Amino acid sequence: MSKRHLLALYGNFEEAEAVVQELRNATIKGFDVNDDMIVKSPIEHPEVERFLGDKPVYVQWFTLIGALLGGIFGFFLISGAQANFYMQLKGGKPIVPFPPNFVLTYEMFILGGVFITILGFLICAGLPAKRSPLYSTKVSVDNIAILVEADESAISELKAIFTKHKALEIQEEAGK
Amino acid sequence: MSVSNLLENWAQVRHEHPNNDKPHDPYKWAMAIDLDACTGCNACSVACYAENNLPVVGREKFQHGQQMHWLRVERYWDEDGREFPDQGFQFLPMMCQQCEAAPCETVCPVAATNHTADGLNSQIYNRCIGSRYCSANCPFKVRYFNWYDYPTTDNVWPAEMQQQLNPDVSVRGKGVMEKCTFCVQRLSAAKVKAKGEGRIVAEGEVQTACQQACPTSAISFGNIVNPESRVHKQWAAQQVELAKDKQDKNEGEAPSELRGYRILEELRAYPSVMYLERVRESAV
Amino acid sequence: MRDIREDIAWAKINQDVMKSLENPRKMYWVILFLALMAFGFGVGCEIYQYQTGMGVANLNNPQVWGLYIATFIFWIGMSHSGTLLSAILHLMHADWRKPIYRFAEAMTTFSLMTAGLFVMVHIGRLWMFYYALPYPNDRGIWPNFQSPLLWDAMAIFTYLSSSVLFLFVGMIPDLAIARDNMQPGWRQKLYTLLALGWEGTDRQWRNFRVTYLTIACFLIPLAVSVHSIVASDFAMSQQPGWHVTSFPPYFVAGALYSGCAAIITLFIILRYVFKFEEYMTKPILKKIVRLTFAIAMVWTYLNAVEFASVWYSHDGVSKDVLIQKMTGNYAPFWWGMIFCGSVVPLVFAFKRFQTNIPVLFATSLLLNLGMWLERWMIVAPTFSHGYYPWTWDHEQWPSMVQWGMVFGSFGWFTLLFLLFCKVFPSVSMYEVKEMVYHRTLHLKKSENAEQGAH
Repeated sequence: MSKRHLLALYGNFEEAEAVVQELRNATIKGFDVNDDMIVKSPIEHPEVERFLGDKPVYVQWFTLIGALLGGIFGFFLISGAQANFYMQLKGGKPIVPFPPNFVLTYEMFILGGVFITILGFLICAGLPAKRSPLYSTKVSVDNIAILVEADESAISELKAIFTKHKALEIQEEAGK
Repeated sequence: MSVSNLLENWAQVRHEHPNNDKPHDPYKWAMAIDLDACTGCNACSVACYAENNLPVVGREKFQHGQQMHWLRVERYWDEDGREFPDQGFQFLPMMCQQCEAAPCETVCPVAATNHTADGLNSQIYNRCIGSRYCSANCPFKVRYFNWYDYPTTDNVWPAEMQQQLNPDVSVRGKGVMEKCTFCVQRLSAAKVKAKGEGRIVAEGEVQTACQQACPTSAISFGNIVNPESRVHKQWAAQQVELAKDKQDKNEGEAPSELRGYRILEELRAYPSVMYLERVRESAV
Repeated sequence: MRDIREDIAWAKINQDVMKSLENPRKMYWVILFLALMAFGFGVGCEIYQYQTGMGVANLNNPQVWGLYIATFIFWIGMSHSGTLLSAILHLMHADWRKPIYRFAEAMTTFSLMTAGLFVMVHIGRLWMFYYALPYPNDRGIWPNFQSPLLWDAMAIFTYLSSSVLFLFVGMIPDLAIARDNMQPGWRQKLYTLLALGWEGTDRQWRNFRVTYLTIACFLIPLAVSVHSIVASDFAMSQQPGWHVTSFPPYFVAGALYSGCAAIITLFIILRYVFKFEEYMTKPILKKIVRLTFAIAMVWTYLNAVEFASVWYSHDGVSKDVLIQKMTGNYAPFWWGMIFCGSVVPLVFAFKRFQTNIPVLFATSLLLNLGMWLERWMIVAPTFSHGYYPWTWDHEQWPSMVQWGMVFGSFGWFTLLFLLFCKVFPSVSMYEVKEMVYHRTLHLKKSENAEQGAH
C-alpha cells in the first residue's frame, strides 16, 4: 500500500482545529495522526500550538552550550594569546589582566550564544527544508493548511472529514 | 601550547609593574636632566634628528603641528609682572618619558608598543597600523606620527643627504608612529659588545645622542640599577623613586638642593626621566 | 486611537508590501545616483589619503583624531535603533513595533557596515588593518586584547554578525511569502534560496518563536555592551574630558536617541514613498515620538551629570576642558549640540506636533545633527586642551578630505538602504498579520465582556 499526500486548506483556524480534533478522535487505519499530519499556518498561532499539544523545543539547549563554550573558548584564547612565549608588559598591567579579558569573554559569550542558537534553530526546525510534495501559496496569505500522508485506503475517509469542515480546497497527490 | 604556558606561569602573568618585589635587573635605563644647566641651545634636538633619521618637515607642516622632533625643547616663562616678560625663560627638553606604566602601551590595538625587560617603551614600526590611540593617551604628547611619506617627499632628504642617514635606524614610511627610544640602537650595540666580553654595560660606555651633544652635560643617562652610575646617584640624591607616584622627601640639611621631580607624576605613569628644577631668581 | 485597523485583509497586507518590491520609479534612481555620487566622492578622498598620507586630513600633534572617529561613533550609535525595536520592545510585547522593526533592523545592519568603514579609513596603514584580527600565525603574534580599540573590533564584529543573522532569520517567513507571490525571475530564485524551504509548519514556527525570543534576549546586553565598549575608547584613557565614568551609559543613551530619531526620519520617508499609511500609522509614529522624547530627556540628564561632576570635582584640567568647550573655538558647535539635543526635542512634548509630519521630519534630522555634533565635541576639545601646556592653543579644523568621507558615508548608507528596500520587504508581513489578528481577538474579547455584562 503506497502512501499519498492530501492537503486541505482552511480559512480560519477554528475549523482547522475541529478537523485536527476529529482526526485525533477517529482512528483511521493507515493513518497515524501524530506522525503523518503537519499543520501549516501563515502566522505563529499560539492556538495551533495549544491544540496540537506541547512539543519540546530544544533550541535553548543549544543556546546554553553555545554561550558557555563561547565564553570559555574566548577567555582561553585571549589569555593564552597574552601569555605567549614573548610576553611583554603593557602599561604596567599584569600580562593577563582581568578587566579587559572579562569584557572580551562577555562578548564571546554572547557571540557563541547567538551563533549556536541560530545553528540550533536551523537544526531543530529542519531548515533548509525539502519542499513538501503538496503546497499551496495561500498558506503564505491567510489560509491554514493541513497536510496528511496516508495509505490509499484511508484517503477517501480523510477527504470526507476535510469536506465536512468546509475545506476551501483539497489537493491530492497524483496516483503512482 | 599557549594555554599550558598560561597555567604554568600564572604568578608571572598576574604580576603588576613597577613593583619593588621584582626590581629591574641588570638594566633599567633612566635619565636625569638638569634644567639649571640647560641653555636651550637645541643641540640635543639636532643630534636626535641626525641620529634617528628624523625627517625635516618644513615650515608649513611644522607650524601646522605635524613636526617630527622626538626631543623638543620647550620654553616657559615666569609670570611675575616683570618689565620685559620675554626675558629669562626656562627651557625644558621633553622626549618620551619611557614610563614604567605607560598609558600608551595598553591601548595600541595591535601591540606595536610594549615594555622591554630593560625598562624601555618599545615602538615596533612594522607592527604599527597607525590608529594613533597611543598618542591620544599619552599625557605628554611625545609621540609623533608620520603624516606623510617623508622618504619620498621632496626636500626632506634632498639628493646626497640620504648618505647621512644612520644605517642602524630604520627610516619610517607613512602611517607609522614613532618616538624617542633612548637611542636603543646604541644600547643594543653596547649590550652586544659587553656580552661578548662577558659583562654588563659599564657606566659611561653608552651615551644617547642628546646626552652626547649637550654642551653643559645637562643630560645624564645610564643604567639606574648600577649604584655607581651618575643617573642613579642623582635620583638617589633627589630622593625620587621610580616606583612611587608621590615622593616623600626628607628635606633635612639642604632643602634647596632637592630640585628633582618627574612630570605629571600623579597620573601614575612612573616616568623614567627626572628633571632638576631650575633655580629661579624669585626663589633665591 | 488604535495602532492598526483590525479589518485589513491579510491578502491586502501581502499585496501592499509586495508592491513595494516592484520596479522603482524615477525618483528612486535619482536618489540612488546621488548616493553613488556622494559615496564616490568619499572613495576619491580615501584614495587620495591612502596614497598621500593621513596629513591631508589636517590632523596634527596633539589632535590626532578627527571626524573619522566622531562619525564612526555616530554610525555605531545609529545602529542601536534596530535592536531597541526588535529586541527590547519584543520582550515588552509592544505590538506597535511590528510594522516598523524590519527597516529599523536593516538600518542597524547598514549603520554597522558604515561604521566599519570608518575604522579602516582612520588608521594610518589601512593595508595592514588585518593585524587587528586575532588569527593564528607562525609568528605567534596576537593583537593586544587590553586595547579598547580592539574590544571595538570584536564587539562590532559580534554585533554586526548577530544583527545580520537576526535580520535574516526574522525575515525567513516573509521571504517565503515573497517566494510564493513573486513572478518567476531572479527575484523568485533569490527568495526561494533564502527562504530555506520555509512552509510555516508547526515545527518551524515553534522553534522560530523560541529562537527569536532567545536572540532578542542576547541582543539587548550585546547592544548595551557594544556602545559601552565604544565609550571605553574614551573612558579608559586618562585624558581630561574623557576619563568620565558616566560615558558608557551616556553613549548608550545617545545611541538610542540617534537611532530613534533616524527611525522617525525613515518612517516618514517609507510611509510616503511606499504608501504604507495603513501600517506605519500615525498612532505608531506618535509612540515613537514619545519614546524619542523620553530618551532625549535621559540623554540631557546624563549630559548634565557629566558637567555637574566636572564642576564639583577638584579636577582642574577637566574643568578647563569643559570651559573651553563652552567658550573656546568649538563653542558654536558645542552650543549647537546642546540646542539640537536638548531644546529641539521639547517640540515633541506638544501634542499638536506629535503627528505633524513635516515638523517631525525636520526635527528628527536636527536631532541627528545634534548627536553627530555631540560625538565631535567629545573627540576634539580634549585634544586641544589636554594635560600638557605645550599642546594647548593649537587651532585645527578638519580638511575637505575628512568632510568628503563623512558625506560619502551617508551616501554609502543610503545606497545600502535603497537596495534593501527594493529587494527585501521593508515591512514584516507576517508580523503585521499577527498584529491585525491580535487586534481582532482583543476586540472580540471586549465585545464578549460587554455582552457578558448585560
